[in-house]
Amino acid sequence: MTTAMSVSGLVKTFGSTRALDGLDLSVATGEVHGFLGPNGAGKSTAIRVLLGLLHADSGRATLLGGDPWNDAVELHRRLAYVPGDVELWPNLTGGEAIDLLARLRGGLNKARRDELVERFDLDPRKKGRTYSKGNRQKVAIVAALASDAELLLLDEPTAGLDPLMEVVFQDFIFQAKAAGKTVLLSSHILAQVEKLCDRVSIIRLGKVVQSGSLTEMRHLTRTTIEAETAQPAAGLAELPGVHDVQGDDGRVHFAVDGEHLDGAIRQLTRFGIRSLTSHPPTLEELMLRHYGDELEANGGTHADADAGTGETR
Amino acid sequence: MTTTTATRAPAPTGPAGAGSALAGTGTLVRFMLRRDRIKLPAWLLGITFFVVYYGAALPQLYRTEGDLRAISTFMTGPVGALIAGPGYGVDDPTVERLLVGIYGMYIILPAALMSILLVCRHTRVEEQAGRAELVRASVVGRHAQLTATLIVAAVANMVLALLIGAAMAGNGFDAGDGLLFGASVGAAGLAFAGVTAVTVQVTEYSRAAAGLAGVALGAAYVIRAAGDMLDEGGSALSWLSPIAWSQQTRAYVDGRWWPLALSVAFAAAAAAVGYVLSTRRDVGLGLFAARRGAPGAASWLRSSLTFAFRLQRAGLIGWGAALAAAGAIYGGITEPIVDAVEDLPADVIAVLGGDAANMLDGYLSVMALFDALLVGVFVILGVQLLRSEETKGRAEPVLATATSRWAWFGSHLTVLALGAVGLLVAVGGALGAATAISVGDAGYVGDSVAAHLVYTPALLVLLGVAALLFGVLPRAIGATWGVLGFGLIIGFFGPIMDLPQWVHNLSPLEHIARLPLEQLTWAPMLILTVIAAGLLAIGLYGFRRRDLETK
Ligand SMILES: Nc1ncnc2c1ncn2[C@@H]1O[C@H](COP(=O)(O)OP(=O)(O)OP(=O)(O)O)[C@@H](O)[C@H]1O
Ligand SMILES: [Mg+2]
Repeated sequence: MTTAMSVSGLVKTFGSTRALDGLDLSVATGEVHGFLGPNGAGKSTAIRVLLGLLHADSGRATLLGGDPWNDAVELHRRLAYVPGDVELWPNLTGGEAIDLLARLRGGLNKARRDELVERFDLDPRKKGRTYSKGNRQKVAIVAALASDAELLLLDEPTAGLDPLMEVVFQDFIFQAKAAGKTVLLSSHILAQVEKLCDRVSIIRLGKVVQSGSLTEMRHLTRTTIEAETAQPAAGLAELPGVHDVQGDDGRVHFAVDGEHLDGAIRQLTRFGIRSLTSHPPTLEELMLRHYGDELEANGGTHADADAGTGETR
Repeated sequence: MTTTTATRAPAPTGPAGAGSALAGTGTLVRFMLRRDRIKLPAWLLGITFFVVYYGAALPQLYRTEGDLRAISTFMTGPVGALIAGPGYGVDDPTVERLLVGIYGMYIILPAALMSILLVCRHTRVEEQAGRAELVRASVVGRHAQLTATLIVAAVANMVLALLIGAAMAGNGFDAGDGLLFGASVGAAGLAFAGVTAVTVQVTEYSRAAAGLAGVALGAAYVIRAAGDMLDEGGSALSWLSPIAWSQQTRAYVDGRWWPLALSVAFAAAAAAVGYVLSTRRDVGLGLFAARRGAPGAASWLRSSLTFAFRLQRAGLIGWGAALAAAGAIYGGITEPIVDAVEDLPADVIAVLGGDAANMLDGYLSVMALFDALLVGVFVILGVQLLRSEETKGRAEPVLATATSRWAWFGSHLTVLALGAVGLLVAVGGALGAATAISVGDAGYVGDSVAAHLVYTPALLVLLGVAALLFGVLPRAIGATWGVLGFGLIIGFFGPIMDLPQWVHNLSPLEHIARLPLEQLTWAPMLILTVIAAGLLAIGLYGFRRRDLETK
C-alpha cells in the first residue's frame, strides 16, 4: 500500500495562535479520507500547508512523493482543490472560471466538464457575483472534478449545496474512488463522511486525536447494550469496561468498551437472554466525544478510551 | 422610537411613509461615526495639518518680496493653471494668497477624495460585503443608509471647513477669509459626496463606484485646468467644474461666498438623483441587471499571463480612454495658450522659456510629467488589485493549480509594466496629435510621445516599490502612494522649494530628462531600470517565500 500523503509533527502558528500543533496524518493511495474536527481545529490550515500556500513552521509533509512547498507546481498538476468558501471573479462567468482553472492546471476534459455542468445543474453563463453560495461552490467542484487529478483536496466542498446536489457530489466521489483517486475530504456533514470515507481523522486544536476506519473507531468506543433476560442480570458492573449499568427486573441497559463486549455478552447469557439490542456508537457520538472543551475537563474518565485510540495505524 | 415608525411601515405614502423610509437613520449615523472613529478624524486632521504646515512653511520659503514675485511669475500662465488654479491675486502675491491660490488645489483634492471614499464605504462597500442586508433586515428604512451616509459626509465637510478656518486664523491670516477658504474646501467635498451618491447606485462593485466618482473628479480637474488655461482668472469652461466653484471664491483677494451656493445646489441635486436611482434597484444590485456572459473561456485565456491581462483589462481600457481624452483636450487648447503667451509682458515670457515655441516645449514637458504621475496611479492601483485578489481569496484556487507564485505575480507585473508603456504612448500620442493639429506642426506628435515614454524607467521603479512591498510587507503596500505623492510635490513644487539636491534625487521622476525642453539623457534611465529590476526581483523572491494570505 503506497501513501499518497503523509504528515508528521506539522506545526503552524499565526502569531500566538497555534493552528497546527504537531499534526500527524497519513492517507493511502486510493483512499477516501475524512477530515473532521470542530471549527477552528486547523483543517483548512492543514490543507493549505499541503497545497504549499502556507509554509509550515516545523514538521514534515510529503504529498504524492513530493514536498508541498518546494514542488508545489509539479504537485498541483496532479491534484485538484476545492476551497470551502469559493470566491469568483466578479467580471468572469462561472464557465470562464471553470475553464481557466482547469487550463491553468494543465488541461481540460471538455466532455467531462460538460457532463459535470449538466449533472450539477449549473448555469455557466452567469457572472461571478450573481451566483448563489451553493452555485459558487459548484463552480469550484466542477473545475476540480473535470480534471484528471489523482488527488483531490476538498475543504468542505459541499457547504451550501442542496441535498439533491449532495447526492450528485457523492456519486462523483464514488466514481473518483473507483478510478483509484485519492481524496482528502474535510467536512462537517457526518452522513457524507460516513457514506464516502474509508478512514477518518479527527483533529482538534491542531492535533489528530483519533484516526482509523469507522469500524475500528466503533470497536474502540463504547457500544450501548439493551437486553431482556429471564432472571435479573447481576455482576455486570464489576466487569472491566462496562459502564453506566441500569436495570430493573429483567431489563438491563449499559455501555461497554468495544474490547470488552465479548465478556459482557458472555455474562449476560448466563441469565438467559430474551432480547438483545446493541447500538454501535454513531459517528455523531464519536465526534461529540472529541469536540467541545469538556473533553479536557473530564480527561481522567476518558483517558482509557483515548489512550487506546490515539494511533491506530 | 424606531419601532413605532416601523409599525407604520406598510403605509406607502404620506408623512408616515416618508418617516419609515428614514427609520433608523439616527442610529446609523451614530454607528457610522463609531466605525469611522479613527479613519474620519485622521482624514480631517491630516488635511488640516497640510494647511497648518503650508501656513508655517511658506513664510520660511518665501522670505522676501522678490521670492514671492518669482514664484508668482512661475505660476502665471498655463503651468499654474494646470497644476493650481485660476491664480487670483498671484500678480500681487502674499503668503495667504499663494497658499489658497496654488496649494489650495491640493487641499481640495484630498477633501473630495475623503468624501468619495466615505460615501462608498458606507453604502456600496457595505452592500457588496453583504452587511447592508443584515442592517436592512432590521428596523431600518429604505433610504436610511444613504441619508445617514450623506449626513455623515456633510458633517465631516463642515467640520473640515471649520478646522481649516481655524488653522488659517491660527496661522495669523484673516479669519473671515480663512473660513471662506475652509468652506470652499468643504463645499468641494460635499459636491463629490453627491456625485458618489449617484455612482454607488449605478454599479454593483464598490471599486467601480469609487472609480466612477474618481473619473468625475478627474474630469472636473481637467475641465477646470483647461478652462483656467484659456483665460486668466478662468473662463466659462472652468465654471462647468465643481472644483472651479471652490476656487472662484477668491479668498484673500476679494472674497465672495456665492459660488459655493452652486456647490451646495449641485450636491443636493446629485443626492436627489441618487435617491431616485436607489428606488429603482434592489439591495446589493446595480441599476442594470448583470448581463450573462460566455459559457466558457475564450481560447486565448489559457495562461497566467493572459489571465492577468484579462483581470487588468477593464482598468487598462478605462485609463487609456480617460488619459487619451485628457491628452486630446490639453493638446487642443495649445493654440489659444500660445496666443495668450504672446500677449504677456516680456519678462514673464522670459521666465516661461523665451519664446512661444520654447514655451510650447515647456508645456509638453510639464504635461508629460503630469501624465506620468497619472500612469503611476494606474500602476499602484494595479498592484493593489493583485493584493485584493489575494485577500479576497481569489488567488488561492489559482495558486492551487500548476501556476507558480512566480508566474502569477510575474504575469501581473508584466501586464502592468507593458500597460504603463501603452498608456504613456496613448496619452502622449493623443496630446501630441491634438497639439500638432492645433498649432499646425506635425513634429509635436513624436516630441510628445518621446517626452512621455522617457518616464517608463521611473514608473518601473514605482512598480518595483509596490512589488517589493507586496512580496515582503504586503500590508504596507499603501506606502507606495507616498512615493508617488513625493514625486508629485517635488516635480511641481520642487523648483520653488528650497530643498537640498539629494531630497530631489529621492524621487525617481526627477532623474528623467524633461523632453522636449531638455536633452535626452540615457544614463539615469538605465540606472533606474536596473534599480527597478532589483526591486522587482526582491518582490518576486519575497512573495515566493511568504505565506499566502487567505480569507
Ligand atoms: N491567516 C490566519 N491568521 C491568523 N489566524 C489564522 C489564520 N488562518 C487560520 N487561523 C487560525 O487558525 C486556527 C485554525 O483555523 P482553520 O481555518 O484551519 O480551522 P478549520 O478547522 O478549517 O475550521 P472550520 O471548520 O471553521 O473551517 C483558527 O484558530 C484560526 O483562527
Ligand atoms: Mg476550514
